[in-house]
Amino acid sequence: MGSRDGLAGGSAEVCCGLSVRLAQDTPIPLAAAFACAPGEMLALVGPSGSGKSTILRTIAGLYRPKNGSVGVDGEAWFDSEAGVWVPAHRRRAGLVFQSYALFPHLTALDNVTAALGHLSRAERRARAGQLLELVHLAGLEGRRPAELSGGQQQRVAVARALGREPKVLLLDEPFSAVDKATRQKLYRELAAMRQRLSMPVVLVTHDLDEALMLADRLSLLHHGRTLQDGSPLQVMQQPATVEAARLVGQRNLFEAIVLEHQAPPGFTLLRWCGRILESERNPIYQVGASVSWMIPSSHLVLHRRDRPSRGEHENPVPGIITECLALGETTSCVLAVDGRAELSLAFSVPSHVAARNRLAVGERATVSLLASGIHLMPPDDTPRPVG
Amino acid sequence: MGVWFGWSRSPRRSFRALAFGIMLAAMAGWAAGAVAEEPPTIAGAADLQFALTDIAAAFKAETGLDVKLAFGSSGNFARQIRQGAPFEMYLSADENYVLDLGKDGLTRDDGALYAVGRIVIIVPHGSPLEADGTFEDLRAALKDGRVQKFAIANPEHAPYGRRAEETLRHAGLWEAIEDRLVLGENVSQAAQFATSGSTQGGIIAYSLALSPKVSALGRFELIPAEWHEPLRQRMVLLENAGATAERFFAFLQEPAARAIMRQYGFVLPGEES
Amino acid sequence: MDWTALRLSLELGFLTVLLLLPIGIWVGRRLAYQDFRGKGLAEALVALPLVLPPTVLGYYLLVAFGAGSPVGQVWQSLFGRPLVFTFEGLLVASVIFNLPFAIQPMQRGFEAIPREVREAAACCGLAPWQALLRIELPLAWPGILTAMVLSFAHTLGEFGIVLMVGGSIPGETKTIAIAIYDRVQAFDDVAAAQMAALLLALSLATIALTYGLSRRVGRRLG
Repeated sequence: MGSRDGLAGGSAEVCCGLSVRLAQDTPIPLAAAFACAPGEMLALVGPSGSGKSTILRTIAGLYRPKNGSVGVDGEAWFDSEAGVWVPAHRRRAGLVFQSYALFPHLTALDNVTAALGHLSRAERRARAGQLLELVHLAGLEGRRPAELSGGQQQRVAVARALGREPKVLLLDEPFSAVDKATRQKLYRELAAMRQRLSMPVVLVTHDLDEALMLADRLSLLHHGRTLQDGSPLQVMQQPATVEAARLVGQRNLFEAIVLEHQAPPGFTLLRWCGRILESERNPIYQVGASVSWMIPSSHLVLHRRDRPSRGEHENPVPGIITECLALGETTSCVLAVDGRAELSLAFSVPSHVAARNRLAVGERATVSLLASGIHLMPPDDTPRPVG
Repeated sequence: MGVWFGWSRSPRRSFRALAFGIMLAAMAGWAAGAVAEEPPTIAGAADLQFALTDIAAAFKAETGLDVKLAFGSSGNFARQIRQGAPFEMYLSADENYVLDLGKDGLTRDDGALYAVGRIVIIVPHGSPLEADGTFEDLRAALKDGRVQKFAIANPEHAPYGRRAEETLRHAGLWEAIEDRLVLGENVSQAAQFATSGSTQGGIIAYSLALSPKVSALGRFELIPAEWHEPLRQRMVLLENAGATAERFFAFLQEPAARAIMRQYGFVLPGEES
Repeated sequence: MDWTALRLSLELGFLTVLLLLPIGIWVGRRLAYQDFRGKGLAEALVALPLVLPPTVLGYYLLVAFGAGSPVGQVWQSLFGRPLVFTFEGLLVASVIFNLPFAIQPMQRGFEAIPREVREAAACCGLAPWQALLRIELPLAWPGILTAMVLSFAHTLGEFGIVLMVGGSIPGETKTIAIAIYDRVQAFDDVAAAQMAALLLALSLATIALTYGLSRRVGRRLG
């Protein structure tokens, strides 16, 4: 698992990491279940109000739901059936609040020292100093939170959380209040620090890109319910349902009918929009059944204007550009398939490519749907044109 | 650090119980401690404001002992004594209060008559009223509107107020003057009101009017004693009276004290003219 | 100048504040942190002495601890003195009628502490009483101090209830406010003026201190 420094705290433990299972209807609906192994970072992702913070607070012991269990390293912190509830101050959970929640009347050093109650008086100052150095705040120990910038406050909060030698580190949207440049810096520092952390880390965020960058696993939440669990890339590119697909921001969602499953290594054929699409072989879905399918923008290839299509097998789809937005270095476009506005494919290309191919609203263009990108899901209830 | 005093699992509850216990113990010890030998508190009718103060000073000069004086309306004191107020001696302006307390067993005995009081009409300097003890000027003033406010003590619980009412009724002026009355809580306050200039005058105790502080503020005249029930002022030792109170009670019947009472216009028992 | 009365008033003020400190912190904290059924009623009850005429309060206190009442009789048998017309009775009355002056500013002081800061204290491993001593009290202290100063000043100035429950017994319940009243009735304007001026100065100092403190609350948490 890599070398561990003093942050590990103690000899090799029986490692089962964090396991959480919660169920409640009111006042906040919850139906979440996930686990996080030591040294792993799990991102809890979902729109605002999806219960992510509540779940984090439950793990920390600040909120008590009606049913469920929270266990860390084999120790039960909460078990509604057994009537177990360990209060927050007896748990070893390090929580970095969204607003940092530093003690305003204490210096940075004293803030960190507050979490070091388990050490002897003599050791505390030294340790606090070490931790502040770890988060690159050496020299600022004497400052009060009001005298520190947002990024610096956040680091004090992290140092304080780590000071507790926590069994699980919880980060509640820690980067939402900082500017982009600082955020990039903090991402790198967190990634670097992670290599030395041997505990499960749970990161709550509504920013998918952040999750993609930092986390090993991603748990998708909506209205307190766990929708999907897996690696970030997996969840983003292979969402289990249309709902999950929408939550992770996939725009190209359609319905189709399964025509045929070719013998391996062949494709699964779908009928869509009066044409036949080749997608990755997926015999789970029955022939003749409706399916939903999606394709990430990354798997749409623009046919170059100056080079005619050599009849690539990869599902060519012609259409008319209905939207073309230059967003810095990338241009985001929407293609109306066969000129039908209700069937739109969203894709993006580098701006110079867009320029070279003279992409503009009203122009004709053709894109290829890469078979490997077409991902099948159970059919959705909302009516969509099948074609 | 977390197990500082070795508190129980619910340190908060232990702390609270301990704090409450300390508070209770402190209050108890403190109440008990306050029963040391203290000068007795003497309740005196308000008309004795100046007279009794002088007598207490004479008492101290002679015996070296202190007494604490409280002044108020006789009726108010009687009520407080019934509720257990810690007075050791009570000088009332109306002997009925004393006799009633005696019937209810709150006093040592029926006490002693110490003075007979008189009332006067007083008008502050600059008042359109005259200090006329026959009320003739008052009668005229009521008719021609010279008097808007007239002060007496509250007849409900102040004997001097009751007597004032009796004399006004006797003169047939009560109905006319009733809604222009300003009632003092006791006769001292009535004197305050009567001399302050915010009223045109009032009926107060003779003993108060004779005091230099009050007489400087206006003019006064005695009201005929036959017009009201006599103000038979009786004093009594209460149940918990101590040695000092007993000595003071005796002192009040000695020549020195009687001389002071005479100075303040009181008629002494046995000397009624 | 009635020094005994002044000493009595100061004693009453200090002891009232001493007793109200733990009560105010406990109740103020509860009201600040918890939402419970009947909280509105609790807050209204706490605020009641603010709007009740002192004589109403005095009347009910007399009914509650007077010589005829159960409380009064128990007290009498325990200590040999009645609860009314004594300093102890005044102290009890004083604590009751100062409840809103003590509890409300303390409640505001505790409310001003962001909930997440308290939660962070728990997550740092601080037990509730440790969090109280090291985090909450230091942050809420302007509110607490305001409460104590206001209660002290209010006690010094209270008249109606003191008169009804305490009578005007020199050295026992004759506070300086009552002494002023008494001196006016005795036509002793000099003494009355002296004591009134003293109380005025004390009240001004109190207000100045309170305003100064409430400005510090903002700065402290800013």
